[in-house]
Amino acid sequence: MTRHHPDSLSLMEYSAGNLSEPHALCIRLHLDQCPHCRSRVDTLNSLGAVMMDQQPKVTVSDNSFDQLMARIDAAPADASPVAKTPRMSPLQKLLGQDINDLPWKRQLGDVSVLDISEKFPGQSERVVLQKLVAGGKAPAHTHRGNETTIVLQGAFADQKGVFNQWDFVVLNEQDEHKPVAVGCEDCITLSVLSAPLKLTGTFTRLLNPFMR
Amino acid sequence: MMTVISSTHATVKERPVTTLDQQPAKAEGRKDPWGVLLEKVGKHQDRAAYHALFEHFAPQLKYYAISNGMASHAEELVQEVFISIWRRSCLYDWRKAAASTWIFTIARNQRIDMLRKMQRTSAEMAVETEDLWQIPGDNEDEPVTSLHRLMSERRIRESLSQLPEEQITVIAKVYMEHKSHQMVADELQIPLGTVKSRVRLALNKLKVILQDQNV
Repeated sequence: MTRHHPDSLSLMEYSAGNLSEPHALCIRLHLDQCPHCRSRVDTLNSLGAVMMDQQPKVTVSDNSFDQLMARIDAAPADASPVAKTPRMSPLQKLLGQDINDLPWKRQLGDVSVLDISEKFPGQSERVVLQKLVAGGKAPAHTHRGNETTIVLQGAFADQKGVFNQWDFVVLNEQDEHKPVAVGCEDCITLSVLSAPLKLTGTFTRLLNPFMR
Repeated sequence: MMTVISSTHATVKERPVTTLDQQPAKAEGRKDPWGVLLEKVGKHQDRAAYHALFEHFAPQLKYYAISNGMASHAEELVQEVFISIWRRSCLYDWRKAAASTWIFTIARNQRIDMLRKMQRTSAEMAVETEDLWQIPGDNEDEPVTSLHRLMSERRIRESLSQLPEEQITVIAKVYMEHKSHQMVADELQIPLGTVKSRVRLALNKLKVILQDQNV
């Protein structure tokens, strides 16, 4: 059972479709596992529908509907109903393999990382997977900028509490912590680091949420 | 930024909703008229129903596209949304979302999708738009809480009319102009904190964050 949820403002930005792709992925992964937040997003989507209804309307061109029907008639394959098939988890699709078998790069002590930013071309954030071995400790560290993290496997604990699978955490400069992987599984997290553009070079290491 | 909610929220009482088969008359009474039309499209490819939906929603969608800075692609967005409505209508379940909510999410996804495709080749898209922004009810087999959802749209409409203009302005910019809270703050030349507190006040009134506080 997840206990740490995204806040309402983030869910609103998600509902409005304004989040960057990596941030949307974090929210989406949480939503898949959290009926409570799904219900909040449903309400926010309704807010979007009501806003759209209350704004001005713009007449479409005269032949717009005819064009639409012509398209439907001309390309039955294109316009055929979509099947209700179970979709692969977005994470599985993105990584293409089990999360434990990824080419992890051991960084220091109990921490391994894998930068997957290149999966999100055109996005300014860095997207990093981190693994803390079961029972392992990360050195005390702070964070630069805002870091949005979702726990994908296992759990970690710091002075603020225990963060279990699918829990959602946002950390910033003020948050110094010393996470420990609890439970018998390696703790794997996905973090999105909103990066000030002036930082370059050693930046990935500096922004690693588990350590720097 | 983080909202901590005790696990008791799972027990929040939601009135169980009976299925259509059990109480057809009662259930029919709760359908919104657009949902009825959408079902006709889904079940029978009913073109008259589809046309009625087009007449009502296409002008909204066109404005949505224009206000989102896609003026030169506005007609295209309307077309794409309606193709998607035609194809997906068989998946629409009126008990899971009001028709207008469902159409809004399709429009939002289509807008994101068009922008993504303009910016890069599809080969580069490791994740599809719908992996990131889901359409409610599409692949969910969870208990239906339709009364709650249909009510919430009516409730939002009513509450919205009582909100001060400054709060509605901020929400409209977020939803209709694709602006982040930071961009709204820059445009209105007010602090980010003010934007956030206006949104929070509005969401509070709209009961979006009700559950955060009550459990």
